[in-house]
Amino acid sequence: MTPEPSVIEIDNLVRRYGSADAVNGLSLRVQPGRCYGFFGRNGAGKTTTIKCLLNLLRPTSGAVKVFGLDPARHEVAVKSRLAYVPDTVAFYPWMTVRDTLDYFASFRAHWNQRTEAALVDQFRLDLRQKTGRLSKGQRTQLALITAICPEPELLVLDEPTSGLDPIIRREFIRTVIGAYQDSDPGRRTVFVSTHLISEFEGLIDEFTIIEGGREVLTLDADVARARYQKIYAHFPDDPGTLDLAGAHVLRQRGRDVEVVVNGNSVEVMERLRLRSPETLTTEALTLEEIFVTTLQPGGAMV
Amino acid sequence: MRFQLNFKSGKPVYLQVVDQVKSAAASGAVQPGEPLPSIRPLAEELRVNRNTVAKAYAELESQGVIETVAGKGCFVRANHSPLKKAARLELVTQAVDEAVIQAHHLQVGKAEFLRLTEDRFEAFQHKRDRAARS
Repeated sequence: MTPEPSVIEIDNLVRRYGSADAVNGLSLRVQPGRCYGFFGRNGAGKTTTIKCLLNLLRPTSGAVKVFGLDPARHEVAVKSRLAYVPDTVAFYPWMTVRDTLDYFASFRAHWNQRTEAALVDQFRLDLRQKTGRLSKGQRTQLALITAICPEPELLVLDEPTSGLDPIIRREFIRTVIGAYQDSDPGRRTVFVSTHLISEFEGLIDEFTIIEGGREVLTLDADVARARYQKIYAHFPDDPGTLDLAGAHVLRQRGRDVEVVVNGNSVEVMERLRLRSPETLTTEALTLEEIFVTTLQPGGAMV
Repeated sequence: MRFQLNFKSGKPVYLQVVDQVKSAAASGAVQPGEPLPSIRPLAEELRVNRNTVAKAYAELESQGVIETVAGKGCFVRANHSPLKKAARLELVTQAVDEAVIQAHHLQVGKAEFLRLTEDRFEAFQHKRDRAARS
């Protein structure tokens, strides 16, 4: 069996604006059927990277490939197989919801009417409403419908839930899981850039954290949660100096010590145990905590 | 059945689903022949990737805990393990080894550990009896 080609391949991508590097040597691979998280702070280079995937920007150097194709040379072939939901969605304000759906469908070879009807109903959108009168949440919901109905092989989401209320966010994610992944899940790939990581926690198979246009960490989500652990120890007396090499100290005050470890929890636990703590517990970091730990100044927990 | 996922346990999410179904089937909380929720609604409810639930169900099927009936869904099987006795013992041995290591680290001695094991067997039987009566 030959391995399936990557849906997204980014190799040493550099994109400069003037003299500033927005993306500076980024590489990553997204396998088909995966839900890939692309995490970074505001200004880390997420949107620039996504724009290079969609041929909205040309790379300064390096290469991007989508479905094995160069999006600049095969723009139509690439774009017909993917859909994109940006953080700010704009439609023609004079069109109704119905017109807008028809307009988007007219560009697509395939459009699932049943999914359209189900989602319009689920989101309680009024088909006669002019899009100019929709709320930000409703516009995002409409954008999601236009992205899912063509049943694309790749769904690119750029900060899709920022600025939305929690109920709409939940519904958004439920729709990505349900309506999008429903048929042929092996050919439904999601690439989601966000800094609202906790909401997408259960969805993410694998992720890359970027900072300053460079990759900081790429891991499988389950592997990451097994590797990054927070250890808490409470001692009967002030333990004084502890050997905490290989651990990142979050807090050491009086009788309490809290550290984060990366793959060496057994060894660090053993060293703490030698000092006979009253309490010694460990828990996995969530993806959001891993993000924070990885990017904190002087963290170096990669 | 009700699932509870904990991203802080450090255990892969699909394995949490596997273990919860196994424990519900073992305790009688779900009975042989009972259907499990289908993949899409369960994934939506737990807000996890569809593949995660699919992987859990595939694992449960390969361990003989559930069976898939085409077009109908997944059901809990009666006498579930298709594995040979030696393989089953091996799996239990691994689980016991982990518990023994945990006991060592938490300074729980052998006698105490064995007493605890007796207690847990009784609690388990009790739970099964109760599930069978209801």
